[in-house]
Amino acid sequence: MSALNKTSNLLWGAVTLGALGVLGTYSAAGPQRFWANWVLWFVLIFTLGLGALFIVALEHLVNAKWSVPIRRLPERIATLLLPVIPVGLIGLGAIPVLYPGARPEAAHHPILAGKAFWLSLPFFSVRTLIAFALCVLALALLVGGSLKQDATKDPAFNIRARKFAPAFMAIFALVITMIAFDWISGLTPEWYSDIFGVYVFAGAFLSGLATTLLAVLYLQEQNRLEGVRADHLYNLGAFLFAFTVFWSYIGFAQYMLMWYANFPDEVIYYKVRLTGSWRAITIALAGLHFILPFFALVTRDAKRDPKRLRRVAYLMLGAHVLDIYWLIFPILGARPYFSWPEISFALFFLGGSLLWLRAAMQKGEDMPVGDPFLREGLEFRL
Amino acid sequence: MSETSYAVLGLFDTPDALMQAIPKVRAAKIGAVEAYTPYPIHGIDEALGLRRSPLGGMVLVMGVIGALTAFGFQYWISAIDYPIVTGGKSPASWEAFIPIMFEVTVLFATFTAGLGMLLLLNKLPFFGHPILSSQSIKGITRDRYALALEAESEAFDSVAAARILGEVGAVTVEVLPAPDRSPFLTSDFILRTLGGIFAACVVAGLAIFLTIKWFPVLAPMSYMQDQPRLNAQKPSTFFKDGRGMQMPVAGTVARGHLPRAAGSQEAAATLINPLPRTKEVFAVGRKAYANRCEVCHGALGNGVGSLTAAYGGKPANLQAKQFLDYPDGKIYWAIVNGKNAMPSHAADLTEAQRWSVVHYVRALQRAQNAKDEDLKVVAP
Repeated sequence: MSALNKTSNLLWGAVTLGALGVLGTYSAAGPQRFWANWVLWFVLIFTLGLGALFIVALEHLVNAKWSVPIRRLPERIATLLLPVIPVGLIGLGAIPVLYPGARPEAAHHPILAGKAFWLSLPFFSVRTLIAFALCVLALALLVGGSLKQDATKDPAFNIRARKFAPAFMAIFALVITMIAFDWISGLTPEWYSDIFGVYVFAGAFLSGLATTLLAVLYLQEQNRLEGVRADHLYNLGAFLFAFTVFWSYIGFAQYMLMWYANFPDEVIYYKVRLTGSWRAITIALAGLHFILPFFALVTRDAKRDPKRLRRVAYLMLGAHVLDIYWLIFPILGARPYFSWPEISFALFFLGGSLLWLRAAMQKGEDMPVGDPFLREGLEFRL
Repeated sequence: MSETSYAVLGLFDTPDALMQAIPKVRAAKIGAVEAYTPYPIHGIDEALGLRRSPLGGMVLVMGVIGALTAFGFQYWISAIDYPIVTGGKSPASWEAFIPIMFEVTVLFATFTAGLGMLLLLNKLPFFGHPILSSQSIKGITRDRYALALEAESEAFDSVAAARILGEVGAVTVEVLPAPDRSPFLTSDFILRTLGGIFAACVVAGLAIFLTIKWFPVLAPMSYMQDQPRLNAQKPSTFFKDGRGMQMPVAGTVARGHLPRAAGSQEAAATLINPLPRTKEVFAVGRKAYANRCEVCHGALGNGVGSLTAAYGGKPANLQAKQFLDYPDGKIYWAIVNGKNAMPSHAADLTEAQRWSVVHYVRALQRAQNAKDEDLKVVAP
């Protein structure tokens, strides 16, 4: 228990230190950098929660049995969507600062003038609020219902969830596309890509998977997931493996089409990211987000090896942070910013998320004990 | 002791009984242990001690080879053998190679997986596995679980194998005779295979021939034939005068055809040959001379060409004193404008070719009037 308290104190310390840095950033480094960091962490935590919720819904959608014993963990991670709502509401303050489409000059811009209504602050905020509302609805139905089932043991929840899952997929596509287009792509409103939502989805799903994997390994170490075996880990590892390829497929396809067509308003996006220091980051991203995890997980044994899976999961989360950083930060200039403001923001938001997750991990049962398919899930063998 | 038997088969009623029997039978070490079940049983791989399939490694290696092959082919074609700049991209643009690399990786990997599994690892084609003709096969494909002790060598003891299977609880025990292992590629088999292929070719060929003969053939894609374009010597509605071939725009000259010697031959005498006397230039001049000049002026330039004999014409003897003293510019002028019966060769020879011919004519003249010091230059 003392070790737990120690970790808790450490996290609180990180959050406090980070909070001081965050406040300092606004006064010392200027609002632009402050808001860029804020949007970065809002998008990161939001996509993490959404990716975890997607895993939960995917299980209900395809009626998967193997993932029932570990479903409680993505459910708990998905509750990050609740604390991220105030983060997003505060983040709306970034819109007049960072988003060219919401500034008054946009009315005279030849391209932005036509999109002025869509990009304006009121409609931007309304869309974000709609996204939040849809997330809360899905959370209440999928996660709340599952928690209630622990006590009631009522199989009616499974039927309800199965019916809701297809609708959730439509909601999910809408929400993640809105977040990707508005919050990330909106930073460079002259540039657009139809596949951008799918690209962000791939990263979101990967981060959700990696966090789920880390949570499973963490609880396994504490003997709180009796019956979860290497076979379950293998499936999570296989998903992680497959979606590194999916992410790079989408990312490269988007790049190649724009590179081929060579339209100035499209390639400028990549021109910025392939010049100077950003070029190194782009290459590092390809290595860390695709090549390294791909070859780390390619063999059968690697996907059931907890040690390797933990390392790859950490790598994947780091690569996801780098990915979103790579999407957002080039608007600040040709030089990639990484200094005390970025570290403070990381301390604040990572510490906060971990505190939330720690609290979530202590709540309720570690497995969905009311789910009639739990036993079948525990008996799962490859 | 029966050396001719292939295997001894023991049938079990439940998968549990089978699983319990496996370690005991393996411990007896009589032949190879193999299980035949109607559906996969969890944990049987480990119990039987089956080695890890090498297929995954094979697929990975072949996939990487596929990617490298596709990259190599494309790089060779696009960047080395025939580099063409398209769309302002460098010929060695790796971005354009990736989709093909992806496809070929998948192709190599799937073919390795499929064929490697069937041919290499499962050793197919293998007609008539002995188990298929056993009494127990009906049970194995329905609700019985069989354990087989298969002969690995001539020393296989089928009696001992039958006894141990009975001891570990097999309900029935069956001894399978060795399969017919006569050679697979007999002359009869080869003849029949070749005959079958031949018959199939005949049928397919006839079918295609008759289909094309009896039914009107639709051109599959004629976009390239029917494209709007200008044909030589053909009318065209594209230009106002209705002709496909147009005169050059006034005051323009095609590349390589500048300048044309103007004025009189005497005025051209001051022109200086712009080309250096290199092997390449002489080669160009020799080829052009052979194609355009030799029929009249002869291979030696002495005015005895093949046309001279046929038509009795009198082309200039370039070895004559008059032409030995000619400045380069006057020969050039004659090539461009023609002289006496000789027509102009301006349309046939480019600027560079004309001057190369001038060099070559000079070489011909010198070859016929060689001095002693010329020999020294040639001698090593």
